[in-house]
Amino acid sequence: MPIFREVLSTAPKRRATLLYPFERREVPSDYRGKIDINYSLCVGCGLCVKECPSQALELVTLPDGSKKPRYYLARCTFCAQCAESCPRNAIKSTQIYELATYNRRAEVVEPCGTSR
Amino acid sequence: MIRELIDILGTLLFPGFLFFAALGLFFEWIDRKFYAKLQNRVGPLYTGPWGLLQPLADFVKLMAKEDIVPEGVATPIFSSIPVFALALSLFATLFLPVCGPQGIVSFPGDVIVLAVVLTFLVILVFLAGLSSASRYPEVGSERAVLQLLGYEIPLVASVLGAAAVTIGLGGSLSIEGIVSAQQNWWGILGIQALGFAIFLLAAQAELERVPFDIPEAETEIVAGWATEYSGKKLAFLRLARDVELAFLCGLGATLFLGGPWPGPLVPGLGGVIASTILFVIKSIVVLLLLTVIRAAMSRLRIDQMVNFAWKYLVPLSIFQLLLAVVTPTMVRLLTL
Amino acid sequence: MSSVIDVPVGPQHPALKEPLNITCYVDGEQVVGAKLRIGYNHRGVEKAGEYQTYIQNLYIAERICGICGIVHAFDLAQATEHIIGKEIPRRADYLRTIGLELNRVHSHLLWLGVAAHEIGFDTLFMYVWRDREAVMDVIEEFTGNRVTYALMTIGGVRRDLPQEKAEKMLRVMDVLEEKVKKYKEMCLNERTIRMRCDGVGILREEDAIALCAVGPTTRASNVPFDVRADDPHAAYDEIPFKVITYDTCDVTARILVRIDETLESINIIREAVKKMPSGPIRVRLPRAVPAGEGVGRTEAPRGEVIHYLRSAGGERPFRWKVRAPTLANLLSIPVMLTSKGDYVVYIADVPIAFASIDPCLSCTDRAVKFVDVSSGKSWVWTFSQIKRMYWKDKPYWRERP
Repeated sequence: MPIFREVLSTAPKRRATLLYPFERREVPSDYRGKIDINYSLCVGCGLCVKECPSQALELVTLPDGSKKPRYYLARCTFCAQCAESCPRNAIKSTQIYELATYNRRAEVVEPCGTSR
Repeated sequence: MIRELIDILGTLLFPGFLFFAALGLFFEWIDRKFYAKLQNRVGPLYTGPWGLLQPLADFVKLMAKEDIVPEGVATPIFSSIPVFALALSLFATLFLPVCGPQGIVSFPGDVIVLAVVLTFLVILVFLAGLSSASRYPEVGSERAVLQLLGYEIPLVASVLGAAAVTIGLGGSLSIEGIVSAQQNWWGILGIQALGFAIFLLAAQAELERVPFDIPEAETEIVAGWATEYSGKKLAFLRLARDVELAFLCGLGATLFLGGPWPGPLVPGLGGVIASTILFVIKSIVVLLLLTVIRAAMSRLRIDQMVNFAWKYLVPLSIFQLLLAVVTPTMVRLLTL
Repeated sequence: MSSVIDVPVGPQHPALKEPLNITCYVDGEQVVGAKLRIGYNHRGVEKAGEYQTYIQNLYIAERICGICGIVHAFDLAQATEHIIGKEIPRRADYLRTIGLELNRVHSHLLWLGVAAHEIGFDTLFMYVWRDREAVMDVIEEFTGNRVTYALMTIGGVRRDLPQEKAEKMLRVMDVLEEKVKKYKEMCLNERTIRMRCDGVGILREEDAIALCAVGPTTRASNVPFDVRADDPHAAYDEIPFKVITYDTCDVTARILVRIDETLESINIIREAVKKMPSGPIRVRLPRAVPAGEGVGRTEAPRGEVIHYLRSAGGERPFRWKVRAPTLANLLSIPVMLTSKGDYVVYIADVPIAFASIDPCLSCTDRAVKFVDVSSGKSWVWTFSQIKRMYWKDKPYWRERP
């Protein structure tokens, strides 16, 4: 039966498994990973907050009066709709996808990089 | 006194229970690694060097898990079957010749005892399924008994065929005799090739591995007759299955590939070591063949399996048995 | 005492990828009847859609199903564009077609692996899923993610396909085509696969039409019903392809239909890349959608998906209704699993027969009742009504007395 030949000819081939995390695959350069907000370009219009399908962005008022988005990593679906809606191109997708963490505080990205 | 102590230690440690339990775990590792290799992936990798300790880790983990006995089961039978299964498997391994021309227990006619032991293992499976008060085990144990009806005759016939061939050459109906008669040639040559093929298929059915894992079909009846077992009981059942795997591979190596020969020709301790190594290597060859069968076929339906067994395997095995009985006599008559 | 016992398959069972309950009535090893219960996966998606804008709903629609998510997003986009009434650029149509067909290839390969696993053939499962990884990588390069593509937007697509990516895609498709042909030969010639799949799960042609089965389930029963051919949308009106039917009505036919469809999809992708016009990939549409109704229909890997959208003006939809193909195919399960005459069904046939309709219960569990709030009328679509709406002009439509 041809399946025996197929099976035995697979045995000497190199494994198809990647030994993650020791071996990693390169993701494409336009992979949609975690977003990166450039707070100096942001004007606080709130379009990204309105368009986010999972309420992962929330406008907070900073001590100096300006409004910037707070980013909830755990709610983000990595759709990059915020990047598309931003009129100032302040939001970009990075290729970071290894976002699992034990630290709940790390899941909230406060504006201007200050975490509580 | 010393003699008895050596016998007891031999039975418990080497080449008895501990050796075969370890061999069973080792064979499970080889099986999983080779199966994975045939599927283009790695098997166990991280527990121990090359994943060698994975079966042991599985056993230890199961021993530590909670043992749940569902309501309504027949508790005496339900709880004692794993112990009986392990005991029976280990008992069967005492007959295999590992470090010499005979096993720890050897008497004329022990081949027939082994055939009976294999049947008893399936009766234990049947009781296990019936005593669990649930539908999936009930269906699983029904299928196990139906499957036994199919493969029992080919298995016994191939085993007896190996004995019959060697009777013609001066052997006897004991494993020692069969093994000793294979000193100069291996059983697999000549007419025993058919017997070996039938033995491989029947052993696959006895061990309930694909294509014959019908009683324990994962996608159809969850885990078949072993569904309600958990914790220590499941650990013992799985160890019993591993020991049975080692036992059947060893039996195949003994009956058809010459067992530990030519190890016993070396005198003293060297003989013991050489015999053991050769025995294990030949068993591994049988195990690799069983794994290839497992990788290359899909599960059969129970009616298809019984159909196949009774239409093809049984006539072939009876034909092979007749051939095994008649040929040595004919050869001897012709050369007289 | 009757010897019929009922063996429940589900809601948790290794044969099921998603929860539902099939209660099989068995007599020994033969199945004499089956009863279905669904609803375990109901998530209230349609209700949630009423509180989100149309753009947000696209992403929710994508997550209705993990395997065929892009189809739901496409249908919603098509329904919204239907209400707005604007045409989208031609290049966007071609890119959408490429996305849909890539999804079909990956879904059929996934299904082939799952079906092999259901009959106990884990080796074929591992091989097919290894080859599916190549398709997932191509999809990731094109859309940015392996599973939730987020390719569709209202008015077109969000990403373009530059020439190098298209060429790499075609190279991967060439390699994949060889492998799929090899799997087709394996499924046709392997004794154990044929033994398990021939004559199992038979759904006769009359039953397929009467029970409104869709997709490969009904195409394997010789009913040539394919939305891409009957109701051309996206770029299907300009790309020629075959509607594949087989007439043996059993699981083997469904396997062969899906493998042949995979090969057809690879051809469609090649044609689409070759014929793709240049131009914009999206047109900016207003966020507020005028009042009206729209329907989006396409052929998912499992069959016909219909989205009905009703807008009362404004940024949020008024009512969104999804009908997934598995809901239509599930009714054929009790028929497939009943032993009648010399057609005998064994317990061992249940998982493979069930898996052969390619069940996707995440798509299935939606609300089934329509309520017209303005007139207070509530009704349930009967199957004859749905059939009358969509099948009326087809040659195999038969008016029932």
